[in-house]
Amino acid sequence: MSSFPVLRRVLQSRRRPLSIWTVALGGVCGMYTSLYPMMEKVNLQEMMEALPPAMVEALGYDDMTSAAGYVGSATYGLVAMALLLVFGIGNGAKILAGHEEAGDLELELTSPLSRQTIYAQRLAALWVQISVLVAMVLLVTLVLNAAQSLGIPLDDLMAGTLGLWLLTGLFGSLAFAVGAATGRRAVALGVAAGAAVVGWMFNAIGPTVGVDWMSAVSPLGWYMADNPLTRGFQPLGSSLLAVTTVVVLVAGWMRFLRRDLMT
Amino acid sequence: MASAVVKVRGLVKDYGRFRALRGVDLEVQQGEVFGFIGPNGAGKSTTIRCILDLLRPTEGSVEVLGTSDLRGHPEVRARVGYLPGELAMHGSSTVREHLAYLCELRQGRGAERVEELAARFGLDLDRRFRGLSKGNKQKVGVVQAFMHTPDLLILDEPTSGLDPLLQQEFLRLAREAHVGGATLLVSSHILSEVEAIAGRVAIIRAGAIVDVEDVAKLRERAGQHVTLTFDEPPSLEAFSALPGLEQVSVEGHTLSAVLHGAPDALLKEASRHTVTRWTAHDRNLEELFMDHYRPDGAASDGDRA
Ligand SMILES: Nc1ncnc2c1ncn2[C@@H]1O[C@H](COP(=O)(O)OP(=O)(O)OP(=O)(O)O)[C@@H](O)[C@H]1O
Ligand SMILES: [Mg+2]
Repeated sequence: MSSFPVLRRVLQSRRRPLSIWTVALGGVCGMYTSLYPMMEKVNLQEMMEALPPAMVEALGYDDMTSAAGYVGSATYGLVAMALLLVFGIGNGAKILAGHEEAGDLELELTSPLSRQTIYAQRLAALWVQISVLVAMVLLVTLVLNAAQSLGIPLDDLMAGTLGLWLLTGLFGSLAFAVGAATGRRAVALGVAAGAAVVGWMFNAIGPTVGVDWMSAVSPLGWYMADNPLTRGFQPLGSSLLAVTTVVVLVAGWMRFLRRDLMT
Repeated sequence: MASAVVKVRGLVKDYGRFRALRGVDLEVQQGEVFGFIGPNGAGKSTTIRCILDLLRPTEGSVEVLGTSDLRGHPEVRARVGYLPGELAMHGSSTVREHLAYLCELRQGRGAERVEELAARFGLDLDRRFRGLSKGNKQKVGVVQAFMHTPDLLILDEPTSGLDPLLQQEFLRLAREAHVGGATLLVSSHILSEVEAIAGRVAIIRAGAIVDVEDVAKLRERAGQHVTLTFDEPPSLEAFSALPGLEQVSVEGHTLSAVLHGAPDALLKEASRHTVTRWTAHDRNLEELFMDHYRPDGAASDGDRA
């Protein structure tokens, strides 16, 4: 299996939607990030004080005075993250369970390829796409960081990007694994999207109500706590994201190898 | 001595609480064409998908080409060709691209036969899946099942959606594969669709095999519907007494009956009168089932699954 036929086939069919996503995501990130110099001019602090403090904190908009604070909250912590999660979960649910429901797996599973191979190559197709999109976010931020002299430290940016990649990968993999375990795309979407929303709420509400464990158990807490671009590399957070991903994928894999193919 | 290429023993399959198969036994011998006949929902596709290891049996065992562990033997899967009952085809790729992909899954085997097979079925390789008609999809299914010249062909309703001309082409292709030494398992609703190629036929009904028989014997048992119209009312008694004639009835000048075996006696009796019109058609499977369950021929919908 030196040529990865399933991986190539899936990526080929995803060329157009992936291009559109990459361009759109790059555009949105660029727009948000390039707003910073303007935001700097308005008196942000005054704006913030007009809002209820709990709301400011919940939105993660509490540190707008530095470029890293702003880009971390607005782009990495909100817009890019939300778009990537939507993509990762949608694609994770579709790339195995969706194709299974459509009947595409029937001839793959009766070919000499093993179920393991099909699982692995479809999973790889998901991660390749996520990597392309995260690379686009990084690229846009790097360019604007230099062009507008935002002064976001490079190691902070790389650490935040690693976290964003792992976070998207986790939720994409969760959707993928639930889909592989059940063969039902809707179930995969529901479970992964539900987990993401709960994770977001835990991370946002925990600090405002003063309950520490809420953000400590949330993948979003592992990724960013209040800001992904000001905390540097997080060995614990990154490990938790990676380990959870592996656990979820192994569970989905074991179930996929044993169960009936849906029609 | 021929050996079994497909061996199914006591196969039970539950979908949740619904029991779709209730102990199916099947043996397909090396080199034979085996018909697998049953009405909608009888369990043909379920049996086939268990044989192919797409479904795990609830109970019972399945052996294919000498292994009961198809999952662990890619080299055995490489020797099987499968035509699914419902073939998935969508998206923007062309027929050619998709067939090339399916060849790739088999390390390129079969690629050299794609053009030839497509030409035989008049399949345009440059058409896109989106908007492909049912018949054209079925052609793609047939081509991909045969292209790598498998030793065992498992075909779930191969002729559905094909027009009569292409059904003939399919039968030719199946016969070629058979002559070439392949074993075929072919499912259908209708006996007449497979009787041209099948040697033996299994009949499945409501999840259980009710009969395994030579096609010729089955056809004789199924019999024909015969009607004869005379220039005067025929005698019910004379015709009822004829061998092989059942369910004889007379309405006006027309006699109708079910004929098993040779029509010779019937024709000789009829020739003593003036026949103005006659019809004879093979009885379909549903009628055969009614014989199976009601030897007196009393029809009822009550025993349908
Ligand atoms: N995934 C499923 N979940 C629940 N029930 C199912 C499922 N697949 C099939 N069945 C049921 O199992 C029975 C056997 O179905 P199967 O598809 O094997 O029949 P079939 O003989 O192939 O019929 P057809 O001629 O319509 O293709 C039917 O009653 C069907 O409704
Ligand atoms: Mg079927």
